[in-house]
Amino acid sequence: MIISKLTSFLPQSERRIFVKYAILTIALFVPLLWAFLFVRNLYPVAVWNVMMAGGDLERGRSYCILRGETVSGETVEIAPILLTDALYSRTWTMVNATIDNQSFKLKSIHPANEEMLQRYGGIENLPPGARVPDLLKVWGELYNLRQPESSPNRLKTIRLDMYRWESGRYSDYDKFVTSWRQEL
Amino acid sequence: MAPGTINSIIDRVVPRSAFALGVVRSIVHGIFLISILFTSFSALGSLPPTILRPTGVMKFLPWGFYDQLQTPSGILILKTLMVLSLVLSMIGLGTVISTKTSLLLVLFYQGLLRSFGHFNHDEMIAVYFLVVLAFVPCGDEFSIDSWIRKGIEQRPAFAYAYPILLMQLLLAWVYFSSALIKLRVAGLKYLSQDNLPALAIFHSLDNLHDTSFRVAFWLPQVKQYLPFAVAFVLIWELLFPLAIFWQRIRWWILGIGVIFHIATLFVMNIFFPHQLAMYLIFVNWEPRIKRIWKSRISAEQNK
Repeated sequence: MIISKLTSFLPQSERRIFVKYAILTIALFVPLLWAFLFVRNLYPVAVWNVMMAGGDLERGRSYCILRGETVSGETVEIAPILLTDALYSRTWTMVNATIDNQSFKLKSIHPANEEMLQRYGGIENLPPGARVPDLLKVWGELYNLRQPESSPNRLKTIRLDMYRWESGRYSDYDKFVTSWRQEL
Repeated sequence: MAPGTINSIIDRVVPRSAFALGVVRSIVHGIFLISILFTSFSALGSLPPTILRPTGVMKFLPWGFYDQLQTPSGILILKTLMVLSLVLSMIGLGTVISTKTSLLLVLFYQGLLRSFGHFNHDEMIAVYFLVVLAFVPCGDEFSIDSWIRKGIEQRPAFAYAYPILLMQLLLAWVYFSSALIKLRVAGLKYLSQDNLPALAIFHSLDNLHDTSFRVAFWLPQVKQYLPFAVAFVLIWELLFPLAIFWQRIRWWILGIGVIFHIATLFVMNIFFPHQLAMYLIFVNWEPRIKRIWKSRISAEQNK
């Protein structure tokens, strides 16, 4: 009734399009407004909260560097974005989430993770980054696939080094925390 | 708002032709197609499903499905389907169906990527454009469909113009809401001297970001000026909707956007290429493309 009153002056063909587009607009913007009000991303509904909290110098932060040891004994830095390019901007959060064992904290856990949890006797006994070696193995194999069989640049081990910027000042960025290592 | 008012706004701000909407369809689907063609799906498929954290609607899919997908053949099937569908929707063949299949496949693929990493926003605006294009007559011109069926029924101009306006509104919402949310969550603290240097340095310490530029480490030396730069960006984001309605400043606003996104690459090692590419919907492609066609035809006739 409201729609027919609103669109009464339009010809029939335009009225149908107007109603269709009104529904499309509402279907897009209502979830976006909801996400904005509650600052909640619920895929595919997005709130553009990138960098919303800003940087805080007083807050310490941890970060990781991926490195490999070649068969010739050299240590090289490896940019994982070149190995799994589909993830590009998401690589650092994938690593952080894996270190934090977030895939073990879901309501529905992957059966292999469920089994691992049982083996360790619960999430509290799980070491940090329980699945990091699996990720390192994939990256190491992808890296070696791009090297000739006889290349001295092939990796024999790959490792993820974690550092901490204690912060409070613009220095001392690289306090070593821990490392995960995977033989290839 | 009454339809008459909407019509008069549309008259002023967006092209009103099936051709213009068809070009937008080709651009948006084409950008996803290029991005997918140049992405290594075999590498993506080798990531273990045990590190997945399905997000949003991706939670409805069972683990068995992800186990099948994260295999060389599973991920190859996904890529092949996406490429086929995006080729069809880009060239405008079976547009009514292909725009919908492209939407579903890309939506799934983007959800998969976010289930490995985090809910980053680069491609999201382009995904929303796919939603719009899936439900509007974007194949009536500049498509194989229109070439095959020469006498495609032309709809009222509003049918072609409003979808472009809707996409422009969505893009404006991205920036406008982003500024509002920063002010809501951080308030004036967002303008503190240490905000930008602390953020930028954090994003420059690892080697897991898009790039490894070190510009951020120079920022503390000029930190007293940075609140002005941050305030400028906030004001630019708040004013972004003017790019739709005020043609005279449109290119200034979009130009600042290009500089802003390139700057975030060098300063924060974060880049939003898909979002930046979506600025192309602000261009009125019809006169430009027709001019190129005409000059080609006249050049051939002169041979």
